[in-house]
Amino acid sequence: MTEAARRPAPRERPRAGTRLFFAAWVAICAAAALCPILVLLMVSVAPGSALFGERPPLFVTTPTFRFWRVVLEGGDLWAPLGKSFAVAVMTTAGALVLGAPGAYTIARLPARVRYGVVVGLLVTRMLPEFSIGVSVATRFAQLGLADTYLGLALAHLTGVLPLVAWLLVGAFEGVPRDLEAAAAIDGASRLATLGRVVLPITAPALAVTALFAWLYSWNEFLYARLLTTSQNTLPLQVFQAIDRGTRQQMAAVAVVLVLPILGVVAVLQRHLRPGALAGAIRG
Amino acid sequence: MGGRLTVWRPGSPRAPGGSWIRAHGLEVALVLPLVAYLALLTAAPIVETVRLSVSSPLDGGFPSLGRYRALLASDLFRAAFRNTLVVALLSLVLETGLGLALALTLHRRFPLRGLVRTLVLLPLGVPTVVSAAVMLLVFARSGYLNALLLVGADALGVLGIEWRFEPVAWTVEGGLPTLLTVAVADTWKVVPVVTLILLAGLQAIPEEVEEAARVDGATGWRRLVGVILPLLVPYLTAAVILRAIDAFRIFEVALVLAGRVEPVLGTFIWNRYAPPTSDPFTAAAAAIVLFALILGFVVLYLRLVAGRQEVTA
Repeated sequence: MTEAARRPAPRERPRAGTRLFFAAWVAICAAAALCPILVLLMVSVAPGSALFGERPPLFVTTPTFRFWRVVLEGGDLWAPLGKSFAVAVMTTAGALVLGAPGAYTIARLPARVRYGVVVGLLVTRMLPEFSIGVSVATRFAQLGLADTYLGLALAHLTGVLPLVAWLLVGAFEGVPRDLEAAAAIDGASRLATLGRVVLPITAPALAVTALFAWLYSWNEFLYARLLTTSQNTLPLQVFQAIDRGTRQQMAAVAVVLVLPILGVVAVLQRHLRPGALAGAIRG
Repeated sequence: MGGRLTVWRPGSPRAPGGSWIRAHGLEVALVLPLVAYLALLTAAPIVETVRLSVSSPLDGGFPSLGRYRALLASDLFRAAFRNTLVVALLSLVLETGLGLALALTLHRRFPLRGLVRTLVLLPLGVPTVVSAAVMLLVFARSGYLNALLLVGADALGVLGIEWRFEPVAWTVEGGLPTLLTVAVADTWKVVPVVTLILLAGLQAIPEEVEEAARVDGATGWRRLVGVILPLLVPYLTAAVILRAIDAFRIFEVALVLAGRVEPVLGTFIWNRYAPPTSDPFTAAAAAIVLFALILGFVVLYLRLVAGRQEVTA
């Protein structure tokens, strides 16, 4: 669908009223997506008087960084940030290392078996994370993995892998077998073919998959809660602030959790061609 | 899941003179770690959950349907079941409708489209717990929704229209307002997922198809219903199923926004398991009920809406 292919199509120009309506709709959508994030920023610098009472003001006019100072200097921020980041990286690595090779094999299975495996994986996601989490937590406690980064990353993989497999099986299916056969005729070993032919073609899908795995782990709350006794992750820290902190502290921690991700999503969504998902959803 | 792999027939003819292992050794080696992982950390916990749900905590009797009977008799569980159904269906309708509208919008070309696309997809990067925290600020009694509505009431007053608005405590009111709050909070965070999937679907429709409909004189609405939507069905199905799986399991958002007044199955299970109750048996039985609910919905959806469409390849 190139620009050139689109241009020659003669198109009726919409009327001014329609255009105005469309512009208003677009503005409302953008505002609705953005406003809650702005609210979070605003509340994190709100003086106490701006949040309560029968009629709180819509805008904070006298910002204070008192609560940010409490959060930044209280020592409850950097350690959870570090843990969340490390676990998310480990989960992403695990998702690619376990998921990609497995998905390749699944993609080369006969269609009916492949369909069954992928649907079966998705069905495991229909169980509440809780029911897998409780049993995993008990087992990890016996293995000494409870309350470790590795344990949490392993737990996050249970949620990630079904999606990873789904996305990647679709991607690997799209690689023509003839291409692999051609590489074999040229004398490339199977492993070399995978590395030099199959992986480059599926790189966009692998990137999307990595992004999903990272986001899942960064977001995840329940496994973290079940497997944590000492060091909170950031989502747990937010929850704790909801439970017993001030609203401003909660907002400040939440901003820390959100900002890097907004950056990641804003940058990656340019590369996140919807087409990368298409392989997984063919009719 | 892994068990399936042992029965597969080789997809390609055997290498001449080579054994099956020689022909498929690489594939088996590639998939083994995944199979081992899934067996240990997915299949085994699921079996354990099923076993717990049919065990009796009192006399260790097995199998016993005692936990399921106790669930049916519990008012709290019935409320949680009903609320889960309401919240999930509400958010599915909201998310699919908004996601479709946004995808159709972003598929058109207009000035600043790139920026709008970025903004609209941003909530994708907001962790669920944070989205719940934000919505607490918006929907609290002294929150921003009420403040906004009060300003609106004032503005109407200036125009001479009398509208007395009483601030609503959305999250503690209970009933439909609270359930709607949970659904809206969930919707805000996950609409981008639906939008992305449907956008992929729209981009897969060849330009000529739409062009042909236009040349034939089909108006915008007729093109949408008659041409575009039917071609989008596989993508809609994928979006609805993916979302349904998560919508029925809604947990963090409900815990934060409605935890004290309206239970859903996710929070019900959590509360059974957590210390004051500490009843993993009932928690497991409720988890199985939730699983059956989701599976039932998906099967029903596939039967009714998608017909014989297959979701994956």
